[in-house]
Amino acid sequence: MTQPLTQIGSSVDALTQELEIITHNLANASTTGFKRRSNAFSKVLDKQQGGAETYTLGNIDLKSAFDFSQGNLVQTGRTMDFALGGRGFFVVETPNGPLYTRNGVFSTNQNGQIVDEMGRTVSGVSGPITLPASVSSSDIQVSADGRITAGGTVIGQFKIADFKKEDGSKLVPAGDNCFLMTDKNTQPVTAENVLIKQGFQESSNVKVVDEMVDMIMVTRLYEANMRYVSAQRENSSTLTSVAMG
Amino acid sequence: MLKAFSTAATGMAAQQMMVDVIANNLANVNTTGFKVSQINFQDMLYLKMKQAGAEIASGVNTPSGLEIGSGVRPVSTTKVFTLGELQNTSRSLDVAISGDGFIQVTLPSGETRYTRDGSLQVNATGQLVTSAGYTIEPAITLPSTYTGVDIGKDGTVSVTDSTGAQSSVGTLQLVRFQNPTGLADEGDNLYSQTTASGTPTTGTPGQNGLGTIQSAALEKSNVQMVTELVNLITAQRAYEINARAIKAGDEMLQTATNVGR
Repeated sequence: MTQPLTQIGSSVDALTQELEIITHNLANASTTGFKRRSNAFSKVLDKQQGGAETYTLGNIDLKSAFDFSQGNLVQTGRTMDFALGGRGFFVVETPNGPLYTRNGVFSTNQNGQIVDEMGRTVSGVSGPITLPASVSSSDIQVSADGRITAGGTVIGQFKIADFKKEDGSKLVPAGDNCFLMTDKNTQPVTAENVLIKQGFQESSNVKVVDEMVDMIMVTRLYEANMRYVSAQRENSSTLTSVAMG
Repeated sequence: MLKAFSTAATGMAAQQMMVDVIANNLANVNTTGFKVSQINFQDMLYLKMKQAGAEIASGVNTPSGLEIGSGVRPVSTTKVFTLGELQNTSRSLDVAISGDGFIQVTLPSGETRYTRDGSLQVNATGQLVTSAGYTIEPAITLPSTYTGVDIGKDGTVSVTDSTGAQSSVGTLQLVRFQNPTGLADEGDNLYSQTTASGTPTTGTPGQNGLGTIQSAALEKSNVQMVTELVNLITAQRAYEINARAIKAGDEMLQTATNVGR
């Protein structure tokens, strides 16, 4: 009797975490470049479609990874908004090393360097990208491969980093729309087949309807678990009263 | 208590702020020289439950971690300085900047501000002022008697006297910033310089990347009504769904409470 109850306990904990992941996804439905955390259900469903594994209550796999699928590209017309189409990340420099982001809402700082919304410099292929004083951020043109030009002169090129498929799971969220590579030995590779679109933002890849469906499933499963606990409680109290006469 | 409550609450607060920004954009759909604002969000810090790549046994690393996020926060609003539609007004003192640049104005307090609203007027002393009465910089004074005013593409202001002779009385200058997004919004269609915007460079219209002056025209607001309305619907639905997440968490807690009954 106790073993199923322990299982229920871990399942209830997992479901609570699951709800927390879903609410975090939902809260970031409008965050530029946000990548949703795939949750247990969507993952289980994928597995079921592959016919490999079936879903069992109390045994929810919460090793959820990020869903790096492409978000929609939304046109803003702002010259310093950039979106990536395809695999890859912009690289921003921090005192603690580089961070990787899909959020390309940039500006320039007082030194003319291209920075992100938090004021961290954005890496170019050869160090930070500095606009000459005579060039305003509204003059620049950025080609699909990230080359920045103003009036025909090349100023720099965005560094777009990518990670091998097997290394993707070592990326952890660092907040502020950024990812951190936890493994110091894993070096990024140059992104291929990535397009940079100027005047666009990549919207969050959270699909609210899917999250809603998952959320309903979580609440119902939670209820089912709790019903089981109630039933066990009644059973045991009946048993006790029988035994006690 | 459930972390999901506070996470969903940040989502609701963010969407509410988005509605505020959209409402301001929509309210200014007919404001001359108004530039649309966009709000930018970022995800908040993560609670690390399990580190990715941590060694759990010799040579065995966890393939992925478990981090639970704590929601979203608004991080900036950026002005989008795209050109608004130019509308002909047939009033010779109306000027629109076709391209980059701002008109520099001086407040009565002596402070400098920048505007793209070019509905100029003449004040009691003959000076060119904005519709709010602030003098433009460098000051241009019209003579007491004139029959017509012309403002050229390069900003030259010339007046015609009663005999039909034309004479130049000054040149309208424009300034530009390296990072116009960094300008502070002061209301009244005015912007002020900040550290982020950089220092202004003054120049003649049409030169060094500055736009040209379009006389007898005004620049309309660059707010795209349809885009804003679509954003409004998205924000409203996202708000609702975040509220629904709070309700889901509440239902779960209620079920838990009922177990003990």
